Amino acid sequence: MLSSLDPRIARLALPDTAPAPTPKAAFDQFETFEVFHQKKDGAAYTYVGPVHAPSADVAFLFAKEQYSRRFACTGMWVVPTSAINLTPYVGDQESVYDGVSAIVPTADAPAEPQEYAIFHLKKRGKAHTNVGLVRAASAADALYQAKLTFGEQRPVVNVWVLPWNEVLTLDPADRDIWLTTPEKKYRDAIAYKVQDRIERFKLETGTK
Amino acid sequence: MTDPKKDLLYRLADDQLILGHRNSEWNGLGPILEEDIAFSSMAQDKLGHALQLYSLLHELGEAEPDTVAFTRNAAQFHCSQLVELPIGDYAFSLMRHFLFDHAELLRFEALAASSYEPLAQVARKLKGELKYHVLHANTWIRQLGTSTEEALEKLQAALDLTLPYALGLFEKTEAEPAIIAEGLFIGEDVLRAQWLENISRVLNQTQLELPDLSAITPVGGGRHGEHTEFLQPLLDEMAEVFRLDPTADW
Amino acid sequence: MYGSVSTHDIPAQATTGLENEDPQQLAEFEARIARGEKIEPDDYMPALYRKQLIRMIEQHAHSEIIGSLPEGTWITRAPGFRRKMAQMAKVQDEVGHAQLLYSAAETLGKSREDMLTDLINGKSKYSNVFNYPTPTWADSNAISWLIDAGAIVNQMANARGSYGPYCRALERICAEESFHLKYGHDAVVHMATGTPIQRRMMQEALNRWWPPIMTFFGPADKASQHTEILMRWKVKMASNDDCRQQFLDMYVPKILEIGLTIPDPNLRKNEETGKWEYTEPDWEELRRVINGDGPCNQERLAVRRAAEENGAWVRRALQAKRQAPKAVRPLA
Ligand SMILES: [Fe+2]
Ligand SMILES: [Fe+2]
Ligand SMILES: [Fe+2]
Repeated sequence: MLSSLDPRIARLALPDTAPAPTPKAAFDQFETFEVFHQKKDGAAYTYVGPVHAPSADVAFLFAKEQYSRRFACTGMWVVPTSAINLTPYVGDQESVYDGVSAIVPTADAPAEPQEYAIFHLKKRGKAHTNVGLVRAASAADALYQAKLTFGEQRPVVNVWVLPWNEVLTLDPADRDIWLTTPEKKYRDAIAYKVQDRIERFKLETGTK
Repeated sequence: MTDPKKDLLYRLADDQLILGHRNSEWNGLGPILEEDIAFSSMAQDKLGHALQLYSLLHELGEAEPDTVAFTRNAAQFHCSQLVELPIGDYAFSLMRHFLFDHAELLRFEALAASSYEPLAQVARKLKGELKYHVLHANTWIRQLGTSTEEALEKLQAALDLTLPYALGLFEKTEAEPAIIAEGLFIGEDVLRAQWLENISRVLNQTQLELPDLSAITPVGGGRHGEHTEFLQPLLDEMAEVFRLDPTADW
Repeated sequence: MYGSVSTHDIPAQATTGLENEDPQQLAEFEARIARGEKIEPDDYMPALYRKQLIRMIEQHAHSEIIGSLPEGTWITRAPGFRRKMAQMAKVQDEVGHAQLLYSAAETLGKSREDMLTDLINGKSKYSNVFNYPTPTWADSNAISWLIDAGAIVNQMANARGSYGPYCRALERICAEESFHLKYGHDAVVHMATGTPIQRRMMQEALNRWWPPIMTFFGPADKASQHTEILMRWKVKMASNDDCRQQFLDMYVPKILEIGLTIPDPNLRKNEETGKWEYTEPDWEELRRVINGDGPCNQERLAVRRAAEENGAWVRRALQAKRQAPKAVRPLA
């Protein structure tokens, strides 16, 4: 049996030599969901990062602790990565919208218009931020509608278009799940103030 | 123990401390990175609850929270036996989390109306935190409880194993009549009935089967200081460093 | 490596492969970096840039997940509520860092599962320091403070690098690291200024950890065309030696002021050059440990493997409910 200084590991009673791992099939992982959070009431939702999850409800459970276990939070959106439409990236001084033009209607019956949430990236390396919603018949049309509504803003390095019906949001009544988060000081740097102790030690030992 | 407030607080706090400790054993060893993080947060929350409850006890004249938590022996603990059992496989830990946290949520909801205002305040504050815990537990039980044969087998075994211990959560002490009479808490029988309703509702949405409760003898004793063989080693491990130097400030 | 590119284990004759890149695209790519703009996942990037970043971010991620184990060793034994909760939060953060970094690496095209498989098969490396044991609580404190301090030096440098998703992940990570650093310092100060038993424990732990700490940043970089390109592309942001010097500048005084001694008789700051001089670390040992022959390599991988295997049924169960695999590459 593998001996360990970690009592948790010792209880696992692992064999001395590990058996070869079971080979994995390709794509042996969950899909990803992209997560957006709201820092305070009225603030725009901002991209925080992805989680791997089997479904949106589990993705929310994961996102809440991975991306909002510190500091205030008033809301969180979770959306499958595969549902997001994105433009190419342009330079930090440019606007994606310069290359966007009206959608030529096709012969197909026009789809029922639906809502899309629009996210802008203002600078490469920063995070996408929600600028608002548009109504459009398709994601491509939504991009054009976004240009009409938000096209004045510059720079716009990249745009994400999220079909609103794919976004998992939280019932405002459940926001109290974050109520005590800012009080968990033991995981904040500011809770650790040790300078007094150091000064006292120096005085006592005559090193000061 | 005669003071009904202390009786109530010790049971609450010891459950939180021991389960928080147990669940922390998964940290870094969980089945999915994101779940590892979520489960750790909930274990930390439990320790936070324990600390707040021991602080109330301290106000009532008991020793400092660290002393109370790190220097007592098993026989002095009032936790249920459910929380002291080893973590087992993830099915076991999840099922315990599901059964315990449903009771915990209801318990604190009721305590929010306690006549003992300092405790009522703590309970009201924790409502949202516990809501997430139960949402987490329900989502997992629903997901895994409708999945593969393999998972169903493990979860059913975990349910069968934990249920008698979970019923031990509602074991009464001599202080029970006073606790109810003084309006400190609604009492274990009422809590148990609500709990059963809530866990049944979730289990009914899965392929898991709730065993016939009338055929089960609850495993009690914990509230009276009778524990499994697992508690004393847990306490020894928890206090290993703390006891190295009782005069030290760590 | 914990976030610093290890150029020393790349064969010296490694070709840059730039001859296969489109010269105009390459020029635009380099001009963008020179302007201080970040590279985002869908941009053109040279194959070498992609390969080197995957390797670097993946190793960083592995270092986080494996790095949670030496401190995890004390998670059930942390003394008192304050330490117990903070130790849990810190170990949790390290797992969280792995999640963030695997995600950043995934945007470059390697899946998380592939990376985890390469880790448990011993194909990918992680920081050598995590192959040393933590026999006492004080060892865990030494890691929390000083290894994290070293990691911060690296990570702050890398956060100024050129790849957008890595920068975003590092921004969040560095914010959390400030808690680790403060917590670690707090714990070490309490030990070093505490009772005789505590002081002895802390000094002995520092004696054990000093040699691994000195190898943490790796040996001096070899001057090579490869290193030069990675610097120009802002993949490698600071030389290993510079990081080590910066670490010594910041932390040697803080270690000494609390009455601890550093177990290197040759350690001193040369006032003329402004550089620290020290006993040359045992680079041969570093090489051996990285290649699998450290005191805890076997255990670390066995534990990671057991976690994967024990959790496999959970992933299988959830996986079974899904339709065809969809996107596995996060967007940013
Ligand atoms: Fe809970
Ligand atoms: Fe980290
Ligand atoms: Fe850290």
